[in-house]
Amino acid sequence: MNIILEARNIRYRYPQSLEAIKGISFHIRRGEKIALVGPNGAGKSTLLQMFNGMIRPDSGTMLFDKEPIRYDTSSLRQLRKRVGYVLQNPDRQIIAPTVYQDVAFGPANLGYDEQAIQQAVALALRRVGLKGFERRPPHQLSGGEKKRVALAGVLAMDPDMLVFDEPTTGLDPSGSEDVMELLDELNHEGKTVIISTHDVELAYPWADRAILLLDGRILQEGVPDVAFGNPDYVRMAHLSVPTLLEVSQELGRRGFAQPERKPRSVLDMIHIIEHLLNRSCSTSRPGTISVCDVDRGWDTPLATWVSARQNLAVGAMGTSAKQRASQEHLTLDFTYGVIDKCILRALRGQDSLILTNSSMAGRVVTRVEAYCQESGTAISVIPLNTTNQSPK
Amino acid sequence: MLENLVDNIAQESAFRHINPATKLILCLGSLVICLASPSPVVPLISGVVLSIVLIVPARVSPVLYGELLLGPAIFTIISVVVLVFLVGGGDVLWQFNPVPWVNLTITVGSLHEGLLVLCRVFGCSVSLFFIALTTPMTDLFDGMKRIGIPIEIIDLMMIIYRYIFIVYNQAVEIWHAQVMRLGYSRPMEAIRSSAMLCGMLFISSWNAGEDLIHAMDCRCYNGIIPSLEQAEPMQMRSLIPVLLYLAGLSGILLVVITRVVVLS
Repeated sequence: MNIILEARNIRYRYPQSLEAIKGISFHIRRGEKIALVGPNGAGKSTLLQMFNGMIRPDSGTMLFDKEPIRYDTSSLRQLRKRVGYVLQNPDRQIIAPTVYQDVAFGPANLGYDEQAIQQAVALALRRVGLKGFERRPPHQLSGGEKKRVALAGVLAMDPDMLVFDEPTTGLDPSGSEDVMELLDELNHEGKTVIISTHDVELAYPWADRAILLLDGRILQEGVPDVAFGNPDYVRMAHLSVPTLLEVSQELGRRGFAQPERKPRSVLDMIHIIEHLLNRSCSTSRPGTISVCDVDRGWDTPLATWVSARQNLAVGAMGTSAKQRASQEHLTLDFTYGVIDKCILRALRGQDSLILTNSSMAGRVVTRVEAYCQESGTAISVIPLNTTNQSPK
Repeated sequence: MLENLVDNIAQESAFRHINPATKLILCLGSLVICLASPSPVVPLISGVVLSIVLIVPARVSPVLYGELLLGPAIFTIISVVVLVFLVGGGDVLWQFNPVPWVNLTITVGSLHEGLLVLCRVFGCSVSLFFIALTTPMTDLFDGMKRIGIPIEIIDLMMIIYRYIFIVYNQAVEIWHAQVMRLGYSRPMEAIRSSAMLCGMLFISSWNAGEDLIHAMDCRCYNGIIPSLEQAEPMQMRSLIPVLLYLAGLSGILLVVITRVVVLS
């Protein structure tokens, strides 16, 4: 078990105030997606700030990469390079007067040379989809764009672990989905991602594990359906049971047999319902899912290819795919939970196209294959340009 | 939101991509010439020419530009009226003696002085507007560093610039919240509300300052705020017209000075 962060019985009291953290122990494995959930004042932000040494626990030990965190200046710099922390309010995080300067802040202070700084900034801005925003002052950006700048500023230091305090506050639903998708993408590249949130519906399908905090203590910890599955705990933590889980529990209470694995998505729910009805609502001939890797060359213009096919839905996974779609003036039907939505379409006998990048193209195949194996259907995934080996 | 407006105009100006040093040469050059001129003609010409340049090729909206000019205009006109009555010299043009101890006189000399001040203010304001409306503040920081202004001052300027907008927006928010609850409906209420606004703003700025240190620490602050390098090199295409214009304006100035010397 490869543990990246561990807390051993930590306690913390704010000066002249009540104890905020009352003896917490947990561990986080490398590459995990963790949601820290709890009501206001539960100690989420305090706990998050311990991850990069901003707050030193009064007692107990925090371990990063199996070594206790040391609180001298140089060790802290080393730690903060590896643990990127994104504050809840991007206006408080963005320091410099232009986007470029702000994203370059971390690398410059880490002593990178000019060329390395430029490279790191360009890469980080491309990651978050803000290429071309270098000279813009932050006060001219929208809320979502500011969040992305804040994230880019942390990504430019190339941390192993990302700590994100309330990533979706102040964003519209589509903006929230974009940010969560971006976090997914970063996690897929190997970064450990920890978020704090109130948004149960968002955390439930996203997280690998959820930690429920209440009053400075851990109330429940586990995979999301366990963490959110106990109505008493959920009520105590001032949260709500995710809708999908509630439906599944209600079905169970009415005597319908429930599968071992609780539904995490609409696709899972549909599968369960079809199973209960003992008949498949799907057509006999499922639709296809075409996958276009935007990092590889492809001669046919996408718009032409799409317009030649009727009743085709287009989804995009990842920032570069979304940028490519907007360049080609393609209207995207799905930008979040793309694979599941395309499988649902395929089950109805309709075709879809997924635009994605090289690192995520394989994920489409894996996910669809896993679903087919589980449900006994056969949905074909057609790679459009994987045979074309021209580099990006 | 006037502050925001000026910066936005500069961001979207058609001259945004001209090297800021070129624009600064034009601004400072015409400023010095306007101040040096003993006659109202030179600043008047400079003001009119630069205004046309701002409105036509730089595409600043004439309405917005007019509104911006109105500020200094009102202030100057009031001052000039006072000045015309205070300064003397030359033939008396108009006299007003309402009571024995008040004597208001306008003379040729005072009128000339008033006109000169008016035109100088116009010429100089337009020179400054030229730089303000075509060059965002962010483009000037790199230049300041190059001409040797201490880095500590520039870093402070950058952080202050960043926070102007945050504090300003916060003030507007608090003000709205107060107006919605009739905070400015009576004079006493208005005084109390504005005091409260200042207090709240101070506290929130203090907190923002603490958060700033926190945010900088989170990103390994080691005394460096990176600078944004100027993307546009100085180009002959824009530098030559600027130099020609300044040479022409200096020529007119010389002619004017010679005439003044000859006349006296």
